[in-house]
Amino acid sequence: MNFKNHDKQQYIIDTANAFTRKQITKREFLRKMGLAGIGFSAFGASMLGGHRRLGGLTGIDPAYATTPGQMRDFLREAGRPFAGTTIRYTSEATPPTVVANELKGEFTELTGIEVEIEIVPLEQVLAKATQDVQGELGTYDLYYLDQAWHATFARDTIDPVQYYNDKPELAMPDFDFADFSEPLVEGISKIGDKWVGVPFDIPIFTLMYRRDILEKHGIAVPTTYDEFTAAVQFITEAERENGIYGTGLQARSGHYSLECDWSQAVWGHGGSIFRADGTFSGNDAEGVAGLEWYQELLRNAPASSLESTWDGQFQMMAAGQVALVQSWDEFFPGLDADGSDVQGLWEMTIPLIGPHTLRDRADAGYGEIPDWGHQGGSSIALSRYSKNPDAAWLFLQWVTSKEMMVQLTLGGGFAPMRNSSYADQRILDKAVVGPGTTRHLPVVLETIEKYIASEPDMPLWAGLSSNEIPTELGKLLTGQDYDGNAQACADQIAQIVDAATADAGLR
Amino acid sequence: MTETTITSTGPQQPRKLWTMPRWLTSEHPFPWVFPTTATLIVFGLYPILYAVWLSLHRRHPVTRENQFNPEWNWSRVFADERVWDAIAVTYMYTSVAIVIQLALGLAIALLLDSERRGFGLMRALMTLPLVVPPAVTGMMFLLMYNNSFGVISRSLQHIGLMGTDTPLLATGSTALWAIMVADTWQWTPFMVLIMLAGLRALPKDPFEAAAIDGANAWQAFTRLTLPMLSKIIAIAVLIRGIDLFRVYDYVKVMTDGGPGTATETLTAYAGKIYFGSANFPYASAVAILTLVLVIITANIFIKVFKVRF
Amino acid sequence: MRAPWYLVTLRYIAAIFVTAVFMFPVFWWGLTSIKPTRAIFNREQVVVFDFEPTLENYRVTVLGESPSLIESGASMGTGGENSFDGRETIFDSIVIAVGSTVLTIILAVGAAYALSRLTFRGSQLYLNWILSHRFLPPIAIIVPIVFMFRDLGLRDTHLGLILVHTLINLPIAVLLLKSFLDDVPKDVDQAAMIDGATRWQSFRLVVLPMIKGGIAATAVLCFVFSWTEFILSLFLTSEIRTLPVKITTFVTSTGSEWGYISALGTSAMLPAFIFILLVQRHLVRGLTMGAIKD
Repeated sequence: MNFKNHDKQQYIIDTANAFTRKQITKREFLRKMGLAGIGFSAFGASMLGGHRRLGGLTGIDPAYATTPGQMRDFLREAGRPFAGTTIRYTSEATPPTVVANELKGEFTELTGIEVEIEIVPLEQVLAKATQDVQGELGTYDLYYLDQAWHATFARDTIDPVQYYNDKPELAMPDFDFADFSEPLVEGISKIGDKWVGVPFDIPIFTLMYRRDILEKHGIAVPTTYDEFTAAVQFITEAERENGIYGTGLQARSGHYSLECDWSQAVWGHGGSIFRADGTFSGNDAEGVAGLEWYQELLRNAPASSLESTWDGQFQMMAAGQVALVQSWDEFFPGLDADGSDVQGLWEMTIPLIGPHTLRDRADAGYGEIPDWGHQGGSSIALSRYSKNPDAAWLFLQWVTSKEMMVQLTLGGGFAPMRNSSYADQRILDKAVVGPGTTRHLPVVLETIEKYIASEPDMPLWAGLSSNEIPTELGKLLTGQDYDGNAQACADQIAQIVDAATADAGLR
Repeated sequence: MTETTITSTGPQQPRKLWTMPRWLTSEHPFPWVFPTTATLIVFGLYPILYAVWLSLHRRHPVTRENQFNPEWNWSRVFADERVWDAIAVTYMYTSVAIVIQLALGLAIALLLDSERRGFGLMRALMTLPLVVPPAVTGMMFLLMYNNSFGVISRSLQHIGLMGTDTPLLATGSTALWAIMVADTWQWTPFMVLIMLAGLRALPKDPFEAAAIDGANAWQAFTRLTLPMLSKIIAIAVLIRGIDLFRVYDYVKVMTDGGPGTATETLTAYAGKIYFGSANFPYASAVAILTLVLVIITANIFIKVFKVRF
Repeated sequence: MRAPWYLVTLRYIAAIFVTAVFMFPVFWWGLTSIKPTRAIFNREQVVVFDFEPTLENYRVTVLGESPSLIESGASMGTGGENSFDGRETIFDSIVIAVGSTVLTIILAVGAAYALSRLTFRGSQLYLNWILSHRFLPPIAIIVPIVFMFRDLGLRDTHLGLILVHTLINLPIAVLLLKSFLDDVPKDVDQAAMIDGATRWQSFRLVVLPMIKGGIAATAVLCFVFSWTEFILSLFLTSEIRTLPVKITTFVTSTGSEWGYISALGTSAMLPAFIFILLVQRHLVRGLTMGAIKD
């Protein structure tokens, strides 16, 4: 370990200790841990030099401390022809993006390439990217692609693996595509043999539970859907006085988050969204059982669930309103943050498994992978319409490089894509209760390796999953229509979806 | 409007070798109206014609190509249940909100139309909601309505007007009203301003005469104020009604049309097709339908209430 | 006729109550902006004020200080960007709102003058045609304008948004200015022209100064509409951001940053509110839209 690395670890530990004594929120923590990567150099500089940094250069280049030497040299060299160009991309405000936005200065300093990250809510990312490809505008050099949209955009992007091989002078040494977790690449990057983008974010469903509440009632950590349902019902009943519910959901009508919850419910009951022949199968016995189960969960969840997307679901967890939640792993560090009312009380384990058996991949349609861990991963892809593909390619390699994956992870709330990151000493050192914890990452890794599920890869999916399906589900769950009859709702969805796939000539 | 004849102006100009064509001089309307007309044609008329053109195409969801197929979208628009639902929601929203906003606006204008101390300040403060961007208003109310943390919901729950199991924005029967409250909060002040302007412009004599005849305040209001304000009320209703019909920001931010389709107005539905399915031609068809309905409704209103600007 | 004291009191009470109701959301928003995040999500005590006020949300959004810098004093990497920095946004919003207001007024005053003073065939129809642009649902013209701006190179420029906001404001501006012009007796400019002024001169030197107040009122309304416009600004820009668009981006995948949202939202109200106060007198006169006279 070199001196600088040692310094950095010490800083992280010191910060973590300091913060445990203060009252800070998840958000503040997230920023601060962003600092563990970014601010470190500057912080170090000011400590060593005895000045407070006031922007601008003070003699010590912050990049030296954070970007390893080999990569630095490469970026300096390869970036020279592109100095002064600006590359753009649009992204949802996910933890890695927010941190990357703060970190990007290092990249600019080395290469002279300016990076503009346009941060907008998820559905606007889709609308803007769609607008861009439809008009072949070239507004964005990189696209942030949610896995649900991959098939839609597959032909608008450049295969990064091929580009890496085609342009050796721009290929970052030791970039190592093989380091990306294989099931993950399968789930969020590849369409057929083509890499649509480089994996950048992997929120995945895991089971999170309040250790104290389960202990209080002598309930074992549920491992199957049946145990989970029983525990949820029990806790809702037993904790009614305290206003604590068994679970909390992201059931906002018409929102993609509801579709995510629903597809996990369907898979978990042995169903799938599509059959191998391309027709909708969410209305078969398994699919309806899943939906009915979800209706039961809703009866044991705060009413806020109906107005919540992932945002609201996290708030319910952080406010101590709920005891058991099967949802995105990226919530976890926030729950452990200083100032959180539930610091150290939440634990994470692998998602629920059984008692139903999964539907076979071969029996599902459009590349859908039914499994226990729904994932909402995303990748960054190089636009075919980019006017500066080479400059954008350098940034793409930098931001998904081994070192950056680690830094983005330390930056907060994020599970790395690369196997090497999980073994990084800096990350292992943070596996303790406290802000920016990484103690959940082994579970995340296991879930990715063994249980990763994937929604269908089809061009209509971006629309169906964020409009038609969750809207009809919303009608059912809020009582607007279907009179609580899950079968009727699923049948209606089947009709809509099948009409759309037939219209599109997909089956 | 009194007649102004274009030729009857100015003394004889000295003769010049080259005289500017008349239509370029300030006597002719052309130079006055040209810039506005050009702007409206380029940025208003052209885009709308383009949207009509677009709506005559079928967007293939896989190839993303737009093929000319005039029937495709339009036959679907009228067969689409969500369109009919959206039309119902839109008319419902517009008509209820306009009545509430007009009544409140008039009442508050009458209340605040006083020269006593402090009323000027209160009139000024009333304009504050106008400067909040509607998208931000939506977020404000989103936070205040939150079933677990929102000040409005929590207060209503506390005094027993609302159960904890019915989040305002996620319950079919309340969501549209909740959005309307935000809209009303924002735009009633605009109504107040217009009504104040109307009240201030009323002639004083009829009121003095009525007072001498012994009319009470209510009689003066119904027999003098209201009839004299009727024209401005009609204009205010028209202007506000058009905006209500196209309501988008509040719905988008607060419910995105949900729960189910309970708050899905025409523009919200067009937005969903645009954002979610990226089916621009179909979204255009729905948006054009909205435009057509606005034009028809507004013209009926103009005819019935004899609105003249 | 003097109202009895109890009626006056009652009127005061009612007026204060109504004003308070309409002020409340803004007050609450302002309060949220100085709360630490924990206090925003306090389920037990939504209405209690037992929090320590903080200006941090303003430091981040309005002064652009890095969130990570505030606690620890360390800077972010050079050139790094605080995703919640609202400074450029405020600048962009001001440029666009002022630009479109100026342009709208220049264009609208001409059309309004023609409609008020020069009777021409189809003038009523022309006015209706202008007003009908108010009917356009913005969502209908987004795609065409995006493609058009791509070809004209106006996408993501201040000028592009200025033009679009001008389009939105022109109808109402023409209507208002026409009513202000109608209020100026026609004898006034006739007299000037009899004295030898051209129509242009009589407009510029005589009529225009008489409707200054009306122009100010119209300008402020245009400013407010541009300042608050959302959907078109959202789609026609990516680097340039107006305030409403920027604020909606504070909804992140791991929670809405209510503190930042409310801080920037509160700041966004101030300039527009000051303007509206300055011209309120004229607004209260001018919004009759010519409907009372006649």
